[in-house]
Amino acid sequence: MAPARDTPFRSADMSMVQLYISNEIGREVVNALGELGLVQFRDLNGDLSAFQRAFTQDIRRLDNVERQLRYFHSQMEKSGIPLRKLDLDVDTLAPPTTTEIDELADRSQSLELRVSSLNESYETLKKREVELTEWRWVLREAGGFFDRAHSNVDEIRASSDNDDAPLLQDVEQHTTAPEVERSFSGMNIGFVAGVIARDRVAAFERILWRTLRGNLYMNQSEIPEPLVDPTNNEPVQKNVFVIFAHGKGILAKIRKISESMGAEVYNVDENSDLRRDQVHEVNARLNDVQNVLRNTQATLEAELTQISQSLAAWMVLINKEKAVYNTLNLFSYDRARRTLIAEGWCPTHDLPLIRSTLQDVTNRAGLSVPSIINVIHTNKTPPTYLKTNKFTEAFQTIVNAYGTATYQEVNPAIPVIVTFPFLFAVMFGDFGHACIMLSAALAMIYWEKPLKKVSFELFAMIYYGRYIALVMAVFSVYTGLIYNDVFSKSMTLFKSQWEWQVPADYHPGQTVVGKLNDQGYRYPFGLDWRWHGTENDLLFSNSYKMKMSIILGWAHMTYSLCFSYINARHFKRNVDIWGNFVPGMIFFQAIFGYLVVCIIYKWTQDWKTSQPPGLLNMLIYMFLQPGTLDVQLYPGQQYVQVALLLLAFVQVPILLFLKPFWLRWEHNRARAQGYRGIGERSRVSALDGDDEDESAGGNGHAVDGSRPSEDEGVPMITQALDDGDDEGSGEHGHGEEFEFGEVMIHQVIHTIEFCLNCVSHTASYLRLWALSLAHQQLSAVLWSMTLAPALKMTGISGAIFLVVMFYVFFVLSCIILIIMEGVSAMLHSLRLAWVESFSKFAEFGGWPFAPFSFGTVLEESEELKEYMG
Amino acid sequence: MANGWSVFVGLFVIVAMCAAAWFLSPKGENQVLWRSSLILSFVSCYLMWAITFLAQLNPLIEPRRSDLRKEFIHH
Repeated sequence: MAPARDTPFRSADMSMVQLYISNEIGREVVNALGELGLVQFRDLNGDLSAFQRAFTQDIRRLDNVERQLRYFHSQMEKSGIPLRKLDLDVDTLAPPTTTEIDELADRSQSLELRVSSLNESYETLKKREVELTEWRWVLREAGGFFDRAHSNVDEIRASSDNDDAPLLQDVEQHTTAPEVERSFSGMNIGFVAGVIARDRVAAFERILWRTLRGNLYMNQSEIPEPLVDPTNNEPVQKNVFVIFAHGKGILAKIRKISESMGAEVYNVDENSDLRRDQVHEVNARLNDVQNVLRNTQATLEAELTQISQSLAAWMVLINKEKAVYNTLNLFSYDRARRTLIAEGWCPTHDLPLIRSTLQDVTNRAGLSVPSIINVIHTNKTPPTYLKTNKFTEAFQTIVNAYGTATYQEVNPAIPVIVTFPFLFAVMFGDFGHACIMLSAALAMIYWEKPLKKVSFELFAMIYYGRYIALVMAVFSVYTGLIYNDVFSKSMTLFKSQWEWQVPADYHPGQTVVGKLNDQGYRYPFGLDWRWHGTENDLLFSNSYKMKMSIILGWAHMTYSLCFSYINARHFKRNVDIWGNFVPGMIFFQAIFGYLVVCIIYKWTQDWKTSQPPGLLNMLIYMFLQPGTLDVQLYPGQQYVQVALLLLAFVQVPILLFLKPFWLRWEHNRARAQGYRGIGERSRVSALDGDDEDESAGGNGHAVDGSRPSEDEGVPMITQALDDGDDEGSGEHGHGEEFEFGEVMIHQVIHTIEFCLNCVSHTASYLRLWALSLAHQQLSAVLWSMTLAPALKMTGISGAIFLVVMFYVFFVLSCIILIIMEGVSAMLHSLRLAWVESFSKFAEFGGWPFAPFSFGTVLEESEELKEYMG
Repeated sequence: MANGWSVFVGLFVIVAMCAAAWFLSPKGENQVLWRSSLILSFVSCYLMWAITFLAQLNPLIEPRRSDLRKEFIHH
């Protein structure tokens, strides 16, 4: 019988539902269901490619808008405008209407145009500015060349190696110094001035030299400030050059080479007056350009600032809208009746809520056509939906990391909530370390809200597991008290059960031995502090911790095994109770239950007068030489042990054969009565029974395609889902082919595994002892290396040393003993949960329920992370 | 004070606490969570305490040390 409501004990009851929605309100319905997040839609168009689906056009349009929004974001980042982030916990976005989305699309379209045109003009202006700046540099530098050049025209002449020049002219020029200005043209020397990137200068020079065969005079100087390349906004170091040569042909060649080398050639006048005018003009133009640039920049920034206010909200809206259309694409569309048909899983107990939501949307739209929701009966395995809350979420996650529980089997996370942190604490037991951990966990829970925003990944992970940390710390405080360890020191909370037997002539260094008190008083809580620091401390604590590991392991495994009984009863599989649970339990208890009883019995006996038996040897001899004893624990022991051994071995054939033969007998009986399986595979009543659907041929085909039939090419997506389904129904599915061989092999594997695991898993719990020993010894070593020597020192230096050493001690305690040891203990505890415990009862054959929900869509999107506060 | 019978006293206390946890757990869909977690915690803690107590009930070895200071001994 289904429980009155879903509990975390097992996964929720699920129903397959079919929705008939009028096409007009399809979007609104999906929107509402997305806010609800309770329905997982199945793909009904498995055989259609992404392009053939009904709403692909809308998705394309939204993709375009999203691209535009991303463009704004990149522009904002470029000009350093902060984005107003959206906090979904604070701001709620009303579901947008279609017109609002259209408006948004139009608006972002026009904004994009505007921003990009502003950008374009900004870039052109920037380019202009750079050109003008370069020109100004050329004018300034070239002026210097000319002034220098005029004073040594001879050299130029000499270097240009002009044999035809009359010798007289040379003399003439020297004498007519003021006339020098005009002399270049007189000499038939022309020049090219320009700007070139500094790293190209060498190549430029070489090429010029080779092509002109040295017929040039080149002069250059570095521009001290880097110029910005407008195409990629990178600063470039450039040089101004002036090349003198004579002959128009050569000058034209120089120009061409300059251009091909990426140099900018600028017009410079030879005459200094004209040059001065040019400089003035260039300066004036530069000023204008800079003014316009500033204005453009300001406009652009104002525009972007305005966009930044609502960009995050738009992004979220668009993403939601896209998710809606992607979901609508899963629906099958009946063109004739303008109806959308959807199929999906939802929790049975939430059906009324879904129904009323649908009703609401239909009413609001004012449609006369009602939306219909039908529950379909199916033999497909429903998805596993485990409800979580703030507290159980992290525990559920570590269980789901191992696998998804089978539909309706006992939720493995329920015992994990206690057993995982408790077994951790057994390994981590130290009161001091636990208190630090507890305060950290409490702090994370107290400042839950503000800390949620921290995006540092490592911290976010710890924050996610804050409730696990809390429970772990609480148990560790307890086990720390039991082990009587505070930073490896002990607490004298109660009177000790031991007293030192001190000889009258005691001198330091003499060995003293403890003596039990005569009143039968025993240390009431935890380990006696008199053990602390003794020579045989480890001897005692090892024996104690080892036995404790075995007992706790036995308890944990027995407890886990009991869940397999609960599962078998829930699924009404009596054969599992009698063929698996009962023989398995007897086998386990006959060997390890007996061991635990012996351990406890041995503790309760007084061994002062007789020799205590070794329990490990006892267990080994119980197998090797049944009927003989090494040292007797109790009278009649050999007979009990032989009986238990026989009892355990009798269980093996029962485990092996009972279940397969019972299943075969049951199957044959059903056959004999004339029952046959209907087809090999499951068939759902989906749309097949609907006569109205005959008109929509493609539709019916789509539904067929989503069934796993061997002879048909089935699209991958649906197949993956259906494979999950079939696996879930496993061997216990209804009306499926019975194969005795398969069942037998499965059971043989199970039996061998179970029997061997009983031994290996019990041994595996010894890690509890090993890790708690390691933790205790490590903290003792840390103490003896840091604080112990510091506490022995006196005086001022001793005080300083103590303070320093305390910090070393504290930091190392936190890093090594709490974080590193904690992680290691956690991993071991995790293994004990996953392997030793889960293997006893959980099948993990389910597939997870992934409802369509805006919450998860927004959470899981990596892209949206930067838009969310 | 504390002797061999304490194990049973502790057991009684724990059973009482488990019963209280069973009946006092807040109603609602998380009741099963409260009950299972509380009872499992109580039982685990009791188990650990009882094991520690029993291990010291009839100890096979005595503590032994040779670095005691004189002042410490006479207490």
